[in-house]
Amino acid sequence: MISKINSLDLWKIVPVIIFIIFVSPVAIVLSSLFGEFSKNWLHLIEYVLSGYILNSLILVLGVSIITLVVGVGTAWLISNYKFTGKRFFEWALILPLAVPPYILAYTFTGLFDAYGSANNLVRDLFSLQDSYIFFPSFRNIYGAIIVFSFTLYPYVYLASRMAFLNQSKSIIEIGKVLGLNKIKLFFKLALPMIRPAVIGGLMLVIMETLSDFGAVDHFAIETFTTGIFRTWYGMYDLQTAMQLSSLLLIFIVFFIFIEKYSRKNISYTAKSSVYGEVKLIGVFGVNNILCFAACALPLFIGFILPIIELLNWTYNYKLEFFSGAFIQNSFNTIYLGLITALICSAVALIINFSIRFTKNKFLSFLSSSLTIGYGIPGIILAIGVMKLLTFLDSNILSYYFNIVLTGSIIGLIIAYIIKSYALSSSVIDSGYQRIGSNMDDVAITLKNSGFKLLGRVHFPLLKTSFLTSILLVISEVIKELPATLILRPFNFDTLAVSTYIYASEERMFEAAAPAMAIVLVGLVPIIFLTRTIRESRPGSQIKN
Amino acid sequence: MLKIKNLNYSYDEENKVLTNINIHLEKGDIVSILGKSGCGKTTLLRLVAGLEEKSSGEIEIGNTVVSGDRIFVPAHKRNIGLVVQEKALFPHLSVIENVKFGIKGSRVEKNDIALNFLKLFKVDKYIDVYPNKLSGGEQQRVAIARAMAPNPKILLMDEPFGSLDKELRKELREEVKAVLLQNQTTCIIVTHDMEDAKEMGNKIIRLDEGNQV
Repeated sequence: MISKINSLDLWKIVPVIIFIIFVSPVAIVLSSLFGEFSKNWLHLIEYVLSGYILNSLILVLGVSIITLVVGVGTAWLISNYKFTGKRFFEWALILPLAVPPYILAYTFTGLFDAYGSANNLVRDLFSLQDSYIFFPSFRNIYGAIIVFSFTLYPYVYLASRMAFLNQSKSIIEIGKVLGLNKIKLFFKLALPMIRPAVIGGLMLVIMETLSDFGAVDHFAIETFTTGIFRTWYGMYDLQTAMQLSSLLLIFIVFFIFIEKYSRKNISYTAKSSVYGEVKLIGVFGVNNILCFAACALPLFIGFILPIIELLNWTYNYKLEFFSGAFIQNSFNTIYLGLITALICSAVALIINFSIRFTKNKFLSFLSSSLTIGYGIPGIILAIGVMKLLTFLDSNILSYYFNIVLTGSIIGLIIAYIIKSYALSSSVIDSGYQRIGSNMDDVAITLKNSGFKLLGRVHFPLLKTSFLTSILLVISEVIKELPATLILRPFNFDTLAVSTYIYASEERMFEAAAPAMAIVLVGLVPIIFLTRTIRESRPGSQIKN
Repeated sequence: MLKIKNLNYSYDEENKVLTNINIHLEKGDIVSILGKSGCGKTTLLRLVAGLEEKSSGEIEIGNTVVSGDRIFVPAHKRNIGLVVQEKALFPHLSVIENVKFGIKGSRVEKNDIALNFLKLFKVDKYIDVYPNKLSGGEQQRVAIARAMAPNPKILLMDEPFGSLDKELRKELREEVKAVLLQNQTTCIIVTHDMEDAKEMGNKIIRLDEGNQV
C-alpha cells in the first residue's frame, strides 16, 4: 500500500516539476508588466506603437479574409465535387505548410523585385526595356498578406476538410429536401455547421501571423515581433521588450482560448448523424476548369513558385550545394531537432501516462495549459528563456555547480519543447485513446504498475505514436527561426538561421540550399497529415 | 398526389435494387412500406425525394412528372418533407430555427407556423433549446415538425420511430397519425416493424428484394 501511494505521488510530482520548468519563461515575461516602465515607452507610444498595432491588425484582417476564402473554398470543392486533379489536390493543397512564411518571403523578393526572376523573364520574353517592371514589389504589407495567406491557408483548409468529411450526409440531404439549392446549401447549412472548426483553423493562422518574425523583418514591416526585436537589440532595453512581448502575449492567449473553445465545439457538428457514403458531384467543361484553377492557384503560389525559384537559384548560380557550412548547419539542426524531439516526446509520454495512471484532473489541466505553448511567438519564448537561464546561472548554477547555461543549447531546447509540446502530446494522447483501460487493469493485477506499466505495456503499444511525435517535433524545430536566432550558442548556426542571414544580406542564391532542406523536411508532417485525414472519416470510404 | 410507374433502380447491370415498382397515392393517403433490411425501402424514398436518380420508370408528384424521360426535378424543388431515423437536426440551430428552416414567408408567418407545429408535437417549451439538449423522442418530434412545417406535398418518413422505446414509440405514432390526418398530409412511411406499418398506414406495401409483393 505504501509503495502504491509513493508510486502515485511520483507520477503526480514529476509532471508538476516539468510544468514549472516550462511555464516559468512565460511567467517571467508576463511578470515584467508589474515592473518599472522605462522612458523608452514614451518613444514607443509617440512614434511606433500605433504602427505596430495598425500593421498587425491589417495583416491579421487581410490574411484572415484570404485564408478563409481559399481554405474553406478549396475544402468544399474537394469534399463535394469530382474534377480533374481532385485526388492530387486533396493532399497537395497541404504542401504550402512545408514552406515557412519567411522562405516564401525570400523567394518572392527574388522573384518579384525590380530585377527579380519573374520581371527578368517578362522583359526577356517580350524584349522590353531594362527599366520596365511588370510585377509590383512584394516588400510591403500587401506582399506580406499574400505571403502569410498562401503559406497558412492549409490550416483553414485542413480544419474545413476534416469538418466537411465528418458532416452528416443526412443533414445535408434534409437541407436539400427543405428547398436549399447548392449555393444556399453551402452558406446556410454546410458552412455554419463547420464554423467552430473554421474558427479553430483561423485562430492558428492569426497566431502564426502575429508570431512571425522572419517574413515581416524581410519586408521591413513594423509589427510587434520586429518591434520587440528592435527594442531589445536596437535600444538595448530588455525590460521594455518584455513588456511589449507581454502585450502581444495577451493578444495571442486571447486567440488561443478562442481556438481551444472552438475545438471543443467541433463535436457538435457530428452528433446524431449518419456518415453515409459521400457521393461526389461530377463537374465538366468550364466548371471543371474553374475547380481545377481554384485548387491549382493556391498550390502554385504557396508551394510550386517558391520551389521553382529555389531551384533557379541553385541551378543558375552553380553553387556548391553541399558546402561545408551547409553540412555543418544541417548537422547542427538535426542534432538539435533530434535531442529536442526525444526529450519532448518523453515529456509528453510521461505527462500523458501520469494523467492516465493517477486519473488526476489537475494534471490534465496542467497538460492542456502546456499545449498553449505552440501559440507563443518564438521571440517571446527566447526572451523568457534567456531571463530564466540568466537567473539560474547567476543565483544557483554558477555559484554551486560552476556551470553556465546561458548561451548553451539548453535554452534552445527549452524554447523548442514549449513550442512543440502540443504536437507531441496530441499524438501520444491519440495513441493512448486506442489502448483500452482494461489493459491497465490486467497489467496492474499482474503486478506491473508505474514504470513497469509504462515500459512493458504502454511504450511498446505507443511506439508508432512516439516515432510520429519525434518526426513532427524535428520538422517543427528545423523551421523555427526567431528563438533560434536569439538563443543559439555563439558560432552555432542552423539551417533556418543561415537562410535568414543569407537573405538579410541579400545573398539569396546562397540561401537556396538551407531553404530547400527546410522545405524538404517540412514535407514529413504533411505525409503524416495526409494519412490522418484519409483515415479520419467515420463510416465508409470516400467514393471518388 | 403520387404516381410511381414501372420504377427501376440499379447500381449496375447485376445489382438491381428496385424492380418495376408501381404505387398510386391520393391526397391524405398514408402508406407503409414494409420489408426487411436491404430490400430497397430507403432507396424508394430517396428516389421520391429526388436524392437519387432512377434507372427507368416515372415519378409524378401532384400531376407533375418529377422524374421521367430526360426529366429530373432536384430535391430542393420537389416540395417534399423528409424524416430520417437519426433525426438529422441542424446542431447549430435552436429548435424553432430548425422548424422555421424550410418555411417560406415573412418572419412573423414563419414564426407562427413553426410555433404551431411545435405545439402540435408538444415540444413548444423547447423553442430556444439546441438539439443536443433534447431526448431522442423530443428530437424526433422536432424533426417531424420541421418536415411538416413547410406544408410539403408528400411527407416521407424513414424508420421514424426506430430509435425509440416501445411506449414512446406508441405515443409518438398516435400523435403523428393524428396530425397527418388533421392536415390531410400524404405520407409514405418506411419501416421494418409490422406494428408501426399497421398502426400508421391505411395501405401497406411489402417489398422483398426490390420487388413489390
